[in-house]
Amino acid sequence: MKPSWSHRWLTTLSSASGWLAALASLLAQARETPDVLTLGLQNGRPVVEFAPAPATLEYRLLQAPTVNGLFAPAAEAVLTGFQFTGAALQWDQRFFQVEAVPLAADTLTATTLLHRIAYGPTPDELERVRALGSGAYLAEQLAPEKLSETLDFLDPTPRWKQVKVTGVASTSGGQTRLYMYLEGSGDAYVDNFRLVVGSSDTGTQTNLLKNADFETGLTGSWTVSANLVASAVTTDYAQNGSACLHLVAASGGDSQGTSIYQVITPTVAVGTPMTLSFWYRTSAEDSPLVVRLGGSGVSSTASLSGQDNSPAQILAKLLSGEGTLTDLRAWHILHAVQARRQLSEVLRQFLENHFVTQISKTRDYFDNRGYDGTQADQISTRTELIENLRWQDALLRPDVTFLDLLKISAESPAMIVYLDTVGSRGNGTRIANENYARELCELFCFGVDNGYDQQDIVQISRAWTGWTLELVQTNQEFNPFALRSKTYLDPTLTNTTELNANPNLQGLWAFNYQGTRHNLSAKHLFYQTKPDGSVDTTKPKIIPARFGPRWAGQPYGLVLAANQTGTNGIKEGYDLISHMANQPFTMEFISVKLCRLLVHDGFHLGYDFSDDHQTPEETLVYQCMLAWDQGTQKGQLREVLRTILNSDLFHSHAGSLQKVKTPLEFAVSTVRALRARNEDGSFTADTDGYSLAGIINRAGRLRLFDRAEPDGYPEDAPAWISAGTLTERIRFVQSALMPVSMTGKSDAGTATTTDPVGLLLKKLPAAQLNDAGAVARFFTDLLFPAEGTANLGEFRDLAVTFLNTGDDGVTTSDFNQLATGSSNYDLRVRGLVALLLSTQRFQEQ
Amino acid sequence: MNIISRRSFLSHSAALGLGTALATLTDVPFVMKRALAEGSIGLPGSNGRVKKLLFIFLRGANDGLNTVIPLGDSAYGPPNRVDLEIKKDPLQSFAAIGRAVFPEAGPAAGVYDHPYGLGLGNGFAALHPALKFLAPIYNAGDLAAIHRVGYPKQSRSHFDSQNYWESGAPNDNNTKDGILYRAMVESGLANTAPLTGVSIGSSLPLILRGSKAAMTNVSDPTRFNLLAVPNTPQGNAKADTFLAAANRARFADKRDRDFLELQYGNLASSLQIFANIDFSEAGNTFRDDLATDGDTDYANANGGGYYLFPTTNEKNGGWRRSSTSTRADKYVVPTSSYDLFNRLKAAALVLNKTDALVAGVSIDGWDTHSNQVDQPNATGTTGSHTGSHANLLRRVGWAMYALNKYFNRYPDKCRWDDLAVVTLSEFGRTSVENSDNGTDHAEASVMFTAGGGIKGFEAGPLGEVRRTGVFNCGGTGDQSVPWQTGPTGTLFKATGRYLQRNTDYRSVLGKLIRDHLGATQEQLNRIVPGYANAAESLKAKGTQTRDNTPVIGEPDLV
Repeated sequence: MKPSWSHRWLTTLSSASGWLAALASLLAQARETPDVLTLGLQNGRPVVEFAPAPATLEYRLLQAPTVNGLFAPAAEAVLTGFQFTGAALQWDQRFFQVEAVPLAADTLTATTLLHRIAYGPTPDELERVRALGSGAYLAEQLAPEKLSETLDFLDPTPRWKQVKVTGVASTSGGQTRLYMYLEGSGDAYVDNFRLVVGSSDTGTQTNLLKNADFETGLTGSWTVSANLVASAVTTDYAQNGSACLHLVAASGGDSQGTSIYQVITPTVAVGTPMTLSFWYRTSAEDSPLVVRLGGSGVSSTASLSGQDNSPAQILAKLLSGEGTLTDLRAWHILHAVQARRQLSEVLRQFLENHFVTQISKTRDYFDNRGYDGTQADQISTRTELIENLRWQDALLRPDVTFLDLLKISAESPAMIVYLDTVGSRGNGTRIANENYARELCELFCFGVDNGYDQQDIVQISRAWTGWTLELVQTNQEFNPFALRSKTYLDPTLTNTTELNANPNLQGLWAFNYQGTRHNLSAKHLFYQTKPDGSVDTTKPKIIPARFGPRWAGQPYGLVLAANQTGTNGIKEGYDLISHMANQPFTMEFISVKLCRLLVHDGFHLGYDFSDDHQTPEETLVYQCMLAWDQGTQKGQLREVLRTILNSDLFHSHAGSLQKVKTPLEFAVSTVRALRARNEDGSFTADTDGYSLAGIINRAGRLRLFDRAEPDGYPEDAPAWISAGTLTERIRFVQSALMPVSMTGKSDAGTATTTDPVGLLLKKLPAAQLNDAGAVARFFTDLLFPAEGTANLGEFRDLAVTFLNTGDDGVTTSDFNQLATGSSNYDLRVRGLVALLLSTQRFQEQ
Repeated sequence: MNIISRRSFLSHSAALGLGTALATLTDVPFVMKRALAEGSIGLPGSNGRVKKLLFIFLRGANDGLNTVIPLGDSAYGPPNRVDLEIKKDPLQSFAAIGRAVFPEAGPAAGVYDHPYGLGLGNGFAALHPALKFLAPIYNAGDLAAIHRVGYPKQSRSHFDSQNYWESGAPNDNNTKDGILYRAMVESGLANTAPLTGVSIGSSLPLILRGSKAAMTNVSDPTRFNLLAVPNTPQGNAKADTFLAAANRARFADKRDRDFLELQYGNLASSLQIFANIDFSEAGNTFRDDLATDGDTDYANANGGGYYLFPTTNEKNGGWRRSSTSTRADKYVVPTSSYDLFNRLKAAALVLNKTDALVAGVSIDGWDTHSNQVDQPNATGTTGSHTGSHANLLRRVGWAMYALNKYFNRYPDKCRWDDLAVVTLSEFGRTSVENSDNGTDHAEASVMFTAGGGIKGFEAGPLGEVRRTGVFNCGGTGDQSVPWQTGPTGTLFKATGRYLQRNTDYRSVLGKLIRDHLGATQEQLNRIVPGYANAAESLKAKGTQTRDNTPVIGEPDLV
């Protein structure tokens, strides 16, 4: 707590003539005592204004007869905003204090965890983790290998899957009809169609379709065209009841005459918002199933695999070599949204960003090597995919070390191209390219100006010569000495240039070591520099005093002997990174970066660990370094993470809501915040992943896998928040909350859907659905779970006013008069949630 | 408790209310609202207008030695620069003293095919040919090139060094706010005027960041408005009411809350003001008054010169539409620069149409470790004068030319005479090229400043040169630390492969902030803390004692 109370008390005492005083409590342990800002007397009543305290469930006004007296709840105290008005002042009860009842400590920690080691809470996770307890959740996330993850596995088991689309009836004139057909020949099982008026289906509207559960045969309601004449109701399967429709198409359809259709009565007026849903059974059938109203206003096309845009399907495409950057981004984003192993996803993004690479540079590289644009896209995408899959695997190993992760980066073709080692030569008099050498010191291991100088960069650049790429046979991908592939895709080509051109060779582009490029001089790494600028080969650099007795004074030079060829030449690179990975400089820099990621942005490089006057931040970094250094192997990532996530700093208010979301975190957390699982396996908020890449780029150019600068995207708020980027963030949440047919939906994309009313129906008792106060409380508590209900009063009041105001912003329109299933109700709730997500508070995590 | 006074979140979209709201925001002279501040930053001069600054940050470290090229130094060229060497024009007398060479394109030659250095008329320095559109500004006396710019204990990390350039405090990682931010705070307007410093880019750069006031960053001015559910004018108004009130809600202290509040406030005010400026493509009608680049075909057919802000192929140069041309590639800038020229146009519009004092953009991509130039082909149309670095320089050359023309031809609140344009880049690149046809991180580089009030080249009535616009790179009377030529000369002064500075970038920015924008020396001492320290020698000639390097102090620019 702030130490300022006594001062305030004294000044207040004198300025308020001594008859009124506030006192910070003689602390009851669990209670916070907010700062009293002003004290006054209005109409004989004490008025006490106070500053909000973090994570507060309830504020109470207490009073006592003396400063040291027994403080007891003040009678008739009325709270408005952050100001109490007490009952008429009693002369024997003139000392006041405000007490804050905090959120339970474990609840706060659980919420902080969901903001830091996950991409934000979901309604279901919030309930689960609070019930589970923060310790169990942390243990679960720190051992992802024990947590089953099915995201990347295609599920071949047939199952019923629901499709739900919302749109606007667009047939002009005449009858309204619903058509279903397959785009080619084939068959499908479908069941339980519903078509209702409204932009969401609350289950209470009338189904406009007759015999849509196929329990009573087809005749009477449905008309079957000739190409579908083999279709029939069957009891082989049923989503509900005992029968479904087996759609059998001899040929593909595209219109009324080639479909099974039903005329809807009464006719629906053009422009009416409609929601259509139905179920189909997944199968290996190739022909997509189309179900639509006349026109294109309400239409769905489903591939019967049921795996459309699932991470598994996208990964299969990526692994086949046909995926491009947009697929990779979608896969990455869907993992962030959906994964159970949330911490692994957070860490993989951290690694991707720490060991940053720029796919457009890799694409240019392959574009200049005979490939066309699409092939260059695909090959460069694969380089990014492989390093990410390798990190994903590595993170499942309980003892994974920083060196393991660094090696994956060093060997990645994406990195070899990005920082120019691919073309660097040190043989003869050639000057090796310093790009990778510099960033290895500055950005990947030691941190800027931390334990190295220009001379070391020159030396490292020489050691790193020969690390290049080659097109090798598929089974040689991880053999850096493999020869160039000689397997021709078209061996009949007579022109030898064409025959041997890259695009005619089968294989993969992989890390390849070419000893002829290697610099053969002896290298003295981390040795001191003489005044003339040359290396003093007798004096290794010494770890500075500020690291404290555990490390200070130790030499950390490394000598690589001259004339190393073949495997001894490549070994120089590995020796070098093994040497650097566990120096105290690296321990410090990586620990600082992890603390910034997981706690707050106020950690920096360069603490003096040798003195005793350590801040909590300095202390935590030092503890991380000890955890790094003391394990059975050095540099075990989980030991460092455990240290941070179990620290007092992380558990305190100083760890809660102290960071602003990056655009990636903002977009993903928006979807997650409203994403609850429905009984049928669908969700109340969803995205295809593809449609989020746009906002993530626009809100500050966070271009996943394509950062131009090697320092990676920043964590701190000033880099991400400005008028321009806030505009994009607000546009995105507004768009995400729009029903699909609304102008402006393109910002978030029609494949990013939210159904806040669906969420209300699941989580709020039916009796409260029309209670503006209850709805306001539900959403403010859900979206700002670490704030504490008592601090959300002003938001709640605004929310209630919003719910009770018409769309014109002026007219009173009581929320309790809106029918729960109506589009007015739906829009009102959507509008409110969009605005709550547009506030300053949702920018934080 | 957030201590910053709260601003109301103003309605941005209700077109009905816009007129009144805008009047209060833009028509009241902010000087009236100005807090008591010394100096005259933001104060109108006798002509009723205020001095403004536009910065262009060349991020990634520009190779200054292939920008303003020391062709008078025999050590420039083989073996130090082979693939990268820009040569003297064998048909021109490089020694001639006078104006800069400005080769206009003939009908059979493309704009940028000129392969030789363009002599700057001081017998020593030359412009990279891709910068040829700087030549007319130079010859008009409105452009200065300051070479050998750096700072003591030069960091060769991009991120450190950019931070130092932007914070104005080299080697001081505790200075977390920007040099131009502090200049705006000193103006006394930063918390009263809705706009002072504006960047057009993906994020607010450090040079404009600080904790006491919000500067503005706009990413894409063409979509700078919010949406609402329902997305109707009334729905937007209802949403604005909610957001305005929500911005006033109180919460417990957290690390980023004051900052968020300032930026939300700035969002509200900038939405208001920018709604009244036409940032659209259709509004991009600004043209050169001359037959640009001697392209009379285009001028005759199109009634004037090229578009100043190339944002589409159709607005990019003129050769494509020349009926007599044998070439179809007369783009003035690479087609990948449209985003930049959209942003540059927006920055120019902001300075010209609002009371903002500073605006800026960045150009990325200068980190030319590899493939800095093209391989030469048989016909000589590619080579050291083409490639990635040349393409970046083309952007800079045309940007300056466009700004010069725009503020001369279309002035509203800002004229060319009121403006100083300045380029920044965090450091230079190695004097010796590497094995990858590129250059690595090094030390000093070059800055350009331009504007009606900038002192550059000046010729007397008989054509005699009274002063040149080139500082620290040859010539007469323009330098205090001579350029030493040869294999042990200036090119290698700093540990072997690096050009040594003899001007501190803070002296250039300080000169502009004080003598152009109007800070007092006392204000400048706060804006650029090094000014208060004699050992830094920022104002007058001397030696910077941190690394014992002689510097010329402030170049005589303004």
